[in-house]
Amino acid sequence: MLKEKRFDSIFVFRALMLVFFAYLFLGFMVLPCWNTLTSIFTVKNAAGETDPLAVIRFFLAGNMKTYVWNSLRLAVVLVVTVNLVGISIVLLTEYFDIKGAKILRLGYMTTMIYSGVALVTGYMFLYANDGILTPLLVNAFPSLSKNWFTGYNAVVFTMTFACTSNHMLFLRNAIRGIDYNTVEAARNMGANPFKVLMKVVMPTLIPTLFSLTIMTFITGLCAMSSPVLLGYDSINPEIVRLAGSSSADESFPQARAALLSIILAIFTIVLLTVLTAYERKGHYLSVSKTKAKLQKQKIENPVANVIAHIYAYVLFIIYMVPVVMIIIFSFQTHSAISLKKIDFSNWTFINYFGTQDNQYLTARGVYKTIPGAISGVFSNDATLSGIKMSFFLSATAALLACVIVVIACEYISKHKKSGTALEYSLLFPWLLPTILICYSYRVYFNSSSVWYVGNQNLYFADNVKLLIIMAYVVTKLPFSLRMIKAAFYSIDNELEDAAKNLGSSPVRTFLKVKLPIILPSVLAVFALNFNALFTEYDMSATFASSYGRTYAMVIQAMTHDEGLYGFNMNASGRRCASTVFIMIVSGIILWLVYGVGARDLSERLEAKKKRKEFFVKVFSKKNGELKAE
Amino acid sequence: MITLDNIVVKFDDFTALHDININVKEGEFFTFLGPSGCGKTTTLRTITGFINPASGKVYMKDKDITNIPIEKRNIGIVFQSYALFPTMTVYDNIAFGLKIKKLSKDEIDNKVRDIARKVDLSDEQLEKAVSQLSGGQQQRVAIARALVTNPSVICLDEPLSNLDAKLRVQLRNELKKMQKDFGITSIYVTHDQEEALTLSDRIAVFNNGYVEQIGTPNEIYNHSATEFVCNFIGDINKLEDGIVEALNEHGAGLDPDMHHYIRLERLHVNKAQDEDHFVFDARVVSSEYYGLYIKYTVGAFGQTLRVIEKNDGRVPFETGETVKISFSPANIMSYSSKEA
Repeated sequence: MLKEKRFDSIFVFRALMLVFFAYLFLGFMVLPCWNTLTSIFTVKNAAGETDPLAVIRFFLAGNMKTYVWNSLRLAVVLVVTVNLVGISIVLLTEYFDIKGAKILRLGYMTTMIYSGVALVTGYMFLYANDGILTPLLVNAFPSLSKNWFTGYNAVVFTMTFACTSNHMLFLRNAIRGIDYNTVEAARNMGANPFKVLMKVVMPTLIPTLFSLTIMTFITGLCAMSSPVLLGYDSINPEIVRLAGSSSADESFPQARAALLSIILAIFTIVLLTVLTAYERKGHYLSVSKTKAKLQKQKIENPVANVIAHIYAYVLFIIYMVPVVMIIIFSFQTHSAISLKKIDFSNWTFINYFGTQDNQYLTARGVYKTIPGAISGVFSNDATLSGIKMSFFLSATAALLACVIVVIACEYISKHKKSGTALEYSLLFPWLLPTILICYSYRVYFNSSSVWYVGNQNLYFADNVKLLIIMAYVVTKLPFSLRMIKAAFYSIDNELEDAAKNLGSSPVRTFLKVKLPIILPSVLAVFALNFNALFTEYDMSATFASSYGRTYAMVIQAMTHDEGLYGFNMNASGRRCASTVFIMIVSGIILWLVYGVGARDLSERLEAKKKRKEFFVKVFSKKNGELKAE
Repeated sequence: MITLDNIVVKFDDFTALHDININVKEGEFFTFLGPSGCGKTTTLRTITGFINPASGKVYMKDKDITNIPIEKRNIGIVFQSYALFPTMTVYDNIAFGLKIKKLSKDEIDNKVRDIARKVDLSDEQLEKAVSQLSGGQQQRVAIARALVTNPSVICLDEPLSNLDAKLRVQLRNELKKMQKDFGITSIYVTHDQEEALTLSDRIAVFNNGYVEQIGTPNEIYNHSATEFVCNFIGDINKLEDGIVEALNEHGAGLDPDMHHYIRLERLHVNKAQDEDHFVFDARVVSSEYYGLYIKYTVGAFGQTLRVIEKNDGRVPFETGETVKISFSPANIMSYSSKEA
């Protein structure tokens, strides 16, 4: 009887779970995207007849090809430049013996704590025609136009340095995994250092480099914040523009946006298929049983050594200057920022907290004051509401993604066939560019006829928040699944058996035994997802709703010119402070994930013991002092 | 105490256990021994309730427990990996089962500290994370966790297999002592014959889902019931046709159609022997010096034989030296060739 009851409750729970996942997969992945796909072929011509090939003809005849071509050009160039810089910085910090490598590494890793729109606006602050470094650069290179930092050049420059984080993570790990004995063996057989690098070291890095190349290519293809902010006509900005356009202004904009997003999806699917096929072939596996730690190679040629050092420090300056300048200017007054000159005698927190009146001279020669016009990040209503909005949306989405994936992983680990199907359905968004998902949501749910969401228009007013959360959740599912599933698979099966044997129910076993084990990974995934979504720009820009105005959109608006009479006043100051704030948030999250979160129970107990000892020492000292008195 | 009655276990079309019949007596240290995939762990998991047999019954103290849920069988388990919960302290690991039984805090504390003392775990160790303990200490935690709920039987699934050789021997002795101290019926799974012989009161030797023999270590070793058991337990020489013929010429009366074996230590090198001993010349092919004993490989009648001689301080025989090998035909174990 008891068994039957338990069986029933488990069965009902499983059935409910499967219904939920089917709802998620069909309702929020397949149907909206399918709608986008079919919308291309259901366009009506001037006569009101359906013309399935109208958009394709338009594409082939008009300038739409330019956007695709521009995206492809950007992707190809980025593959070259990002790999060049990425490989360089990894070799310079991990392989060659360069003085100050530890500091160099910190500089090269700065893109891990600020990226996307924060990084682009930071670069703009430095290099745009009114940027703080532009006069210096124009003085140093007279042939350089002060408008050099716009369009294609600016996008390539910015993304080249912004997209090397993956190299610092994955290529660095790969190079550190090389068995130093293989290098010694090659040297012993007479190979010079260059030959060792090219014939022994680099071949072992090829699989990682291949993956990085594909990832960079996709990043270039799907670039959004850089092209939008710096003005480059590539696919994503065009999709966003078309999505906001109407057929009164131009021919079937929605269908054209759909076609572009599908083209992007096709590229992504092909590239990921190639990547997966390549990864399946296997990697170079080290056969050594006792791996020797890689030792840094001295560049013996003195000229080459000097050149390498100069190159390393030039790159370091390129990485660090925006960070340092932005931090410095975030503590400068409004007038110092306006003049783009550091005022060493006047430091302030006004870009972070509080407000100041703005006094200006009118055309009639009269001074006027706008009370509280100069405001800091945490005092400016628009910025603060953007921060709150992003915090709410990203925290909710990150939490939901983790909960969904944890439940899914528990199911996948116990059911082979249906578990595999569930796994693939959750990985499905990996194949789709985020813009396709967001664009599809924007179009598909902008109606009151989607029955499975209660015939609610989810793009209307505050409902858009729900839509953004769903988009965030869906796009974060594949990453979350890959990470949390790995944690699940590391759990010893015998633990569950042991708990069961000791009388623990499945729910108790999950909560008391399994969850604490995977919790560090789940929290890490939550933090990383939150970090990525908190400053996310691409998706919220695609939704482009004033009801879902995220922090990144607010930062983007800060790049607009500051009006003399109060419009966008002190935006540059808040932009600097925002970038610093983002760097602090990201830094704390990375520290929590990789520092505190990575500690196991023994380390936590050890830390607790040390804390206890410290307090005992302090109190006994105080007691001693009191007694002495 | 525990009786397996015609247990059959199937995984889809594959039959993992064929009509297993075992009776474990109260207080006995009973071992399931066999190579990987022979069904010993499957049998253990059937007893503990993780596997439901396709047919047959499991009895504990004459009570049918075949369909009783795992947690209600009152069987403690020590897993191969120990399965200690890594996110809990040693104390919490041991207290886990007691908390589920909803015992009072004081009761839990008393029981945990009591069992910890018995298995030699200090109060300080109780507050540690399991990863801070050595392999031996972890084993003691696993045993304490299994025993604290007062089970009728304790099942140990290859608990020494992950340890290095030296520690294995040390813990083996501790395990035996603990079992005797607690006097609890123990079922032990291992593929290590030495472990089985040293620890067990009785052993069941498994092969391909069948029980080949149940007996005391001495019965299993000296009177192996099947050719598999005699090959699996200890080291042994198979006597080839040449030597069998020679033996028969001396009146041994061995059936040439059967397979004949003799253990290494039953052969002797250059030693005065009883009259009934069969003696022949052999050439030393190689020798391995182990300190306590010397292992010779000798050639005779077109085959090689391995011999173990106790190290009595004499100079070992040289390779190529001719020696006299002797043994008693009574020590030969013979099996029908059909068995193989």
